[in-house]
Amino acid sequence: MNTIKLFVSSTPKNLHLRIAFTLFLVIFFIALASSTSMAQENAETAEVAETVETEETVETAEPEAPAEPYEVVDYRNFFGLDGRLAIWIIAQLHLMFAAFVLGVPIFAVIVEIIGAKSGDIRFDNLAREFTKLLSAAFATTASLGGLMAFALYGLYPGFMRYMTDVFHPFMFIYAICFFGEAFCLYGYYYSWDLLAKKGKWFHITLGIMLNLFGTALMLLANSWATFMMAPGGINMETGTVQSLYHAFYNFLWMPLNIHRLIANVAFGGFVVGAYAAVKFMGARSHEEKAHYDWMGYIGNFVGLGALIPLPFAGYYLGREIYSASPVMGNIMMGGAFSWTFIIQAILIGMLFIGGNYYLWNGMSRIKGAERYTPYIKYINIIIIFCFAVWLTPHNLPLSGEERALIGEQYHPFSKFFGVMAAKNAVVNLLILSTFFSFLLYRRANKGETMPFSSHGKSAKVALIITAGLTILYLAWYALGLRGIELEENIRQYLSPLITCLVIQIIAIVITILLTFANRGKFAQAFLFGVTTITSVMYMAYYGFVVMEKANLVLRYLSVAQVSIVISCLIVNTIIDIFLFKNAKEVGGIQWGKIPLRAQYALLLLCVAIVTLMGLMGFIRSGLRMNWHIYGFMQDTSAGAFTPSIAYMGWTVSLIVIIFLALLAFVFWLAGLGEKKKQHS
Amino acid sequence: MRSFLNAVVFTLFVVGFFAYVCMYVTGLSGGGDGGAVTGVSPEAGEKIFWGEGQCHTCHSIGTSGSATRGPNQEGLVSRAEEKAKERGLSSGLEYMVEAIVDPDKFVAEGYDKIMPKVYDPPIMLGREKILAVLSFLQTLGGEPDIDAVMKFKDKIPEASKKKIIPWVPPIEVEPKEGELVFFDETRDVSCSKCHVLSGKGSKVGPELTGIGAVQTPQYLIESILKPSEVIVKGFETMYLITTDGMAYNGIIQSQSEEEVVLLVDEEGEIVEYVFYPDEIEQMQKQDISMMPGNFSELLTTKEFYGVISFLLSQK
Repeated sequence: MNTIKLFVSSTPKNLHLRIAFTLFLVIFFIALASSTSMAQENAETAEVAETVETEETVETAEPEAPAEPYEVVDYRNFFGLDGRLAIWIIAQLHLMFAAFVLGVPIFAVIVEIIGAKSGDIRFDNLAREFTKLLSAAFATTASLGGLMAFALYGLYPGFMRYMTDVFHPFMFIYAICFFGEAFCLYGYYYSWDLLAKKGKWFHITLGIMLNLFGTALMLLANSWATFMMAPGGINMETGTVQSLYHAFYNFLWMPLNIHRLIANVAFGGFVVGAYAAVKFMGARSHEEKAHYDWMGYIGNFVGLGALIPLPFAGYYLGREIYSASPVMGNIMMGGAFSWTFIIQAILIGMLFIGGNYYLWNGMSRIKGAERYTPYIKYINIIIIFCFAVWLTPHNLPLSGEERALIGEQYHPFSKFFGVMAAKNAVVNLLILSTFFSFLLYRRANKGETMPFSSHGKSAKVALIITAGLTILYLAWYALGLRGIELEENIRQYLSPLITCLVIQIIAIVITILLTFANRGKFAQAFLFGVTTITSVMYMAYYGFVVMEKANLVLRYLSVAQVSIVISCLIVNTIIDIFLFKNAKEVGGIQWGKIPLRAQYALLLLCVAIVTLMGLMGFIRSGLRMNWHIYGFMQDTSAGAFTPSIAYMGWTVSLIVIIFLALLAFVFWLAGLGEKKKQHS
Repeated sequence: MRSFLNAVVFTLFVVGFFAYVCMYVTGLSGGGDGGAVTGVSPEAGEKIFWGEGQCHTCHSIGTSGSATRGPNQEGLVSRAEEKAKERGLSSGLEYMVEAIVDPDKFVAEGYDKIMPKVYDPPIMLGREKILAVLSFLQTLGGEPDIDAVMKFKDKIPEASKKKIIPWVPPIEVEPKEGELVFFDETRDVSCSKCHVLSGKGSKVGPELTGIGAVQTPQYLIESILKPSEVIVKGFETMYLITTDGMAYNGIIQSQSEEEVVLLVDEEGEIVEYVFYPDEIEQMQKQDISMMPGNFSELLTTKEFYGVISFLLSQK
């Protein structure tokens, strides 16, 4: 950076102008050359046609032949590059920028609200810094969106003709929402100082509007993507639109909306964390380090917070894909794409291990945290164990000799780790461990707590409402299980699930009573214990039972398992908030005094989530195999085959590198204004 | 600047690791062993069961496969006979036909109604392929009887091809031009030097007579551009080392206790080598096809799509 500064400041003004002019000429001539070559191609084609025409005229000596009819083309290449690859790269880049632009405002506004409520200017500054990154990335997102639309209409005109026929009314709504988002974003960013004192809540309302418009855009675009996977509202023979509502609100729309919304927040959080990490590494003053350390912490907190429910949303989406089309579901988990989920497990493992590692490193800047460090090694062992189980494939690729040695197709021991029963159990344990890690971090500098009763009625009411809603949900699901119509010999396997849900309800009630009796810490441990025993230990065992005897029940078991874990997270979070409210501090947090390796953990989280998004984009889109619109419109282009995992790996890597390079460039541009201000 | 460069190096390292894992997993999972076995036969049916029919994603057979969504098909024949009696059908085979043609009519106890009609999109198995699968299913606890299977030919719907837009090459080509390229032996590399088509050509690689009836354009395109992605069973490259240290890569033409005959490509010419057992030190199958992988350089776009069109016309 210093070299650039030196160059910029010591180079004469004329030289700058010359460089700029040369650059302009280079770009201009490249554009001219490519258009000339295209024109040349057209001319050659025209010439050949003309020659043929002339020859024909000479031979037949008849009046001029009629002009060739207009030819409708369904597929084109992108200057020699396969159209599918071009769309893949452009669409994925657009989606990544869009995820950032949609995810960041959600927590930027929340941070601003915290700042407005607490009066702490640091939160306000942080929200503003988030928005600065946002406004810089917004234009790039829009440009990539435009490029994607042009590429789609240019390379897949036949397919886009049909999509336009179906969705054109929504395309106008999309444009209106886009205007709304642009106006709200720039209004939100540029009115920060103007509305800082008197119009803060109006400013926050602008931020909320920004989120609403952004989410509306996402919902609209999602419906097009999910229509391609699970078309609805059309005649599957002729393509006639029978119900625009069902085409829009198709079977996979809502599951994808939920998954993307949460994923965008995690994505935004980790990207912001990486930005802070790079800034921290380059910071010179202690203030700067402290600021970016704090920003990195918030980024990681947001990312991890959203990452915890993400597997549940992913499971819901996956389950609905199965329900929409068992063939597609089987391709996903048991067919061509099953191995990509092993790679997904590696990336998610990176996220959980990286997130926990950052938290543990962060504890080193907190006085009093040493009380909890002995626990970290146990959490670490659990997380690595979970990761290993998640990673184990069911079908080990064995050679003939290995198979003969083992005596069957599967490894006698590891085969148990490759099935859903084991994987569901470890995912839940992984989430519980990460949550436990976070609770340790929260109480690292806290000493003696205030009795729960000292927090007054509001604490009791908040706890009762939270626990009540959680219990209501669990009871609703348990009653739902009782009402499921199945054959009697299968139905009996639902009873243990209902019992587990009832046990959890009783455990929550006991936890609340213990908390009211000022035994909050014990109550938390009790709920953790019961949850681990029922949802992880017992349900892992029971999962194998139902897989063997009543496979149908497995889907209900997974939901019951997830529900129990979520109920534990929600109730324990609320207890924790009140438990440590006004608790005595053992020592302050020394922002800025975090080991450098923690910043690499933040970078790892960012690269891992960007790569994960690239991988999942490939899976979601690739599941359609050689269909544009699954079961209705086939992709008959030459490139319509599922690429190998290695090919996918290289393409996604390229996309990740381009995205991160563009992001770095955009952030650098956003920082230029700041530098100018500092300079003046 | 240095911290930024450190971050860049670290990022590239993580992305490189991801790409490496993808390549490793590709090696581990393999690209499948393809299948050009055609017609109504248990062998062809087995191929379809584990391949494009996607039966294996729900059904396993004994310890083969891991799917549990549908019943394990081990000993299917005797179970089908019992079910046929229960349902008043003439034979176990008729029960199997019913299960494929109208899967929702009877769902095995303990399983959900998830089986698709395999002749409908998106699987779209042709009638012949379904008959082949039936003949394979007959071997699961019984003996195949092709004649009996063929009697149900008319009960099996043809794949819903009317819904599919036929494949068209991206540029205008003539199958006849492709035929000339296919049989042009004056070229360094020619298709007919290794493939037999309608009785013409050499039998080094798989026979391609009638290939258009059983393979998709996508499969043919991939087979020419990336021949190692899917290698037809029996045509894998064999790596052979003799006791005097000489190494050969080729396709086995015949193998017996007395001798191994290997066809080796030597600068475009196929040479036959005979090895006796005492001369062979080691033999190992390779994942790489003997077919050249540079057809994108050897053929012009027009020639390439001409060959594809010609092969598709071979029905």
